[in-house]
Amino acid sequence: MFRINFTINNKGYTVDVDEALRLVDLLRDKFQLTGTKEGCAEGECGACTVIMDGRTVQSCLVMAFQADGSNITTIEGLEREDGLHPIQRAFLDAGAVQCGFCTPGMVLSSKALLDKNSNPSREEIREGLSGNLCRCTGYNKIVDAVALASKYLKEEESDGASENSRK
Amino acid sequence: MEPLKIVGNREIRVDGMAKVTGKAIYPQDIFLENALYGYTVRSTKVHAKIEVDIKKAEEIEGVVKILTHKDVTGMNAHGVLFKDQEVFCSQKVRRIGDPIAFVIAKSQKVAKEASKMVEIKYTELPAVFDPVEAMKEDAPIIHDTTNIRYYYKCRKGNVEEAFKKCDVIVEREYKTSMVEHAFLQTESGVSYVDKEGVINVCAATQYPHFDQLEVAEGLGVNKEQVRIINPAVGGAFGGREDITLQIHLALGAYLLKKPIRMTYSREESFYAHAKRHPIVMKYKTGADKNGKLIAMEATLIGDTGAYASWAINVMRKAGVHATGPYEIQNVAIDSYSVYTNNPYCGAMRGFGATQVPVASEQQMDIIAEKLGISPIEIRLRNCFKVGSKTATGQLLNESVPLKKCIEEVQNKLF
Repeated sequence: MFRINFTINNKGYTVDVDEALRLVDLLRDKFQLTGTKEGCAEGECGACTVIMDGRTVQSCLVMAFQADGSNITTIEGLEREDGLHPIQRAFLDAGAVQCGFCTPGMVLSSKALLDKNSNPSREEIREGLSGNLCRCTGYNKIVDAVALASKYLKEEESDGASENSRK
Repeated sequence: MEPLKIVGNREIRVDGMAKVTGKAIYPQDIFLENALYGYTVRSTKVHAKIEVDIKKAEEIEGVVKILTHKDVTGMNAHGVLFKDQEVFCSQKVRRIGDPIAFVIAKSQKVAKEASKMVEIKYTELPAVFDPVEAMKEDAPIIHDTTNIRYYYKCRKGNVEEAFKKCDVIVEREYKTSMVEHAFLQTESGVSYVDKEGVINVCAATQYPHFDQLEVAEGLGVNKEQVRIINPAVGGAFGGREDITLQIHLALGAYLLKKPIRMTYSREESFYAHAKRHPIVMKYKTGADKNGKLIAMEATLIGDTGAYASWAINVMRKAGVHATGPYEIQNVAIDSYSVYTNNPYCGAMRGFGATQVPVASEQQMDIIAEKLGISPIEIRLRNCFKVGSKTATGQLLNESVPLKKCIEEVQNKLF
């Protein structure tokens, strides 16, 4: 057993974990954060993607004890008090959701990409999502969604800036 | 006319909100209190008589029960068209991955470990992996009689006479490969008996009403005693039309009166469900010097593997679509579904109609090349239009905008 301290979705936790436990199991079984999906258990499909200290990781390939001291964002941490995160809104508006099993991972990979590059080209979007598979083959709509999310985020930023200048 | 409310407008899909927030519930997201865990013991041989000994596995701490064919309370058979699959193999296995036993334990880890202790004595039988070989008289028989499960025959005009009039004849053989759906959400489910005595099975399926019937038959209970709950389905593409874990889970819950859950690993998912039929396609196509198709002969041999699943529908559809969307006056098509010891094949996106264009369209290209006309031109000269008759005799009397489609593509490409 290892005792680890870490943050999930801006809340701190201390838990004892078995040395063989994977991060995906810790999130799903212990914290019931079932928005993180498991598709292949070998880091191929990206359904289990979470953001760990600003970078996407496949939570099926990360041991739970490796999360000690880290800051983790799952799909459940994206929603805001006043509703959906702009990326989630963009996925809905662009029709980028089909069976939905890849969606949480896709949304989180999009967030990690847009946090670093607020204005990605379609090629950069494809590169940013290259670790996430969609078997319904909805890739074009997903790329559209990330481009739309980039626009929504910029609009939000300029709205926020004008609001601040009014204050 | 008043503007339409839905058609022509962008609508947000009803399950979209749950899916972008991660709140959509797939079967593996259901945690029931005190649920036991199931694990399937599967065949490691392609074709063999079996003897199963569960004694050692039963003694392992944490194992609650191990089900075999002896525990099946109803009919030990299922299948969408023919009941040729067993809930648990009783006498022999016909492919790698055939289910033999189901270990129910207090944890996933114990269930998996105990499954390794189930002893299976295999007496191997001759096997066959090539559908053409499997059609021969002396081939190993996989089920009761012949390996030829289905034959579809289509005749139009007089092919023999028509080939004599052709200026160009192209004869080729094509093969497509077996394809796995690889839907992202592997098979998973929970089953429990509720206070009213109804056996509930919660699993992602494409066919809940038929699952209900097959579970009821497997358990030997009335259909009304079984409820199939279909939560969010993480992709299917035809791969969830056959039974996989539904009867195993239901039988366990019914016998033990305790909730049971299980999730297949990706590897087990590959073993568990049907694939796309690989098809051997022998084509002979003839045209006159203007590129007008005159005759076509096709033999399609579909490998349905160890079980039929939707083989009939798939190979019939392959046969019906064998000419491609082209008018040919003289046609002879023979399409077969054949059992082998390969993984079993069934529904997958297109149902037989996806395989034949590999052959029929390639034939068009080769004929065009031989005649020195463009691949587009030969298609325009032969494609279905309003008033065309298909090989099966169907008169196309409504919208057939194929010519327009080809021309639009041509305009965009060149």
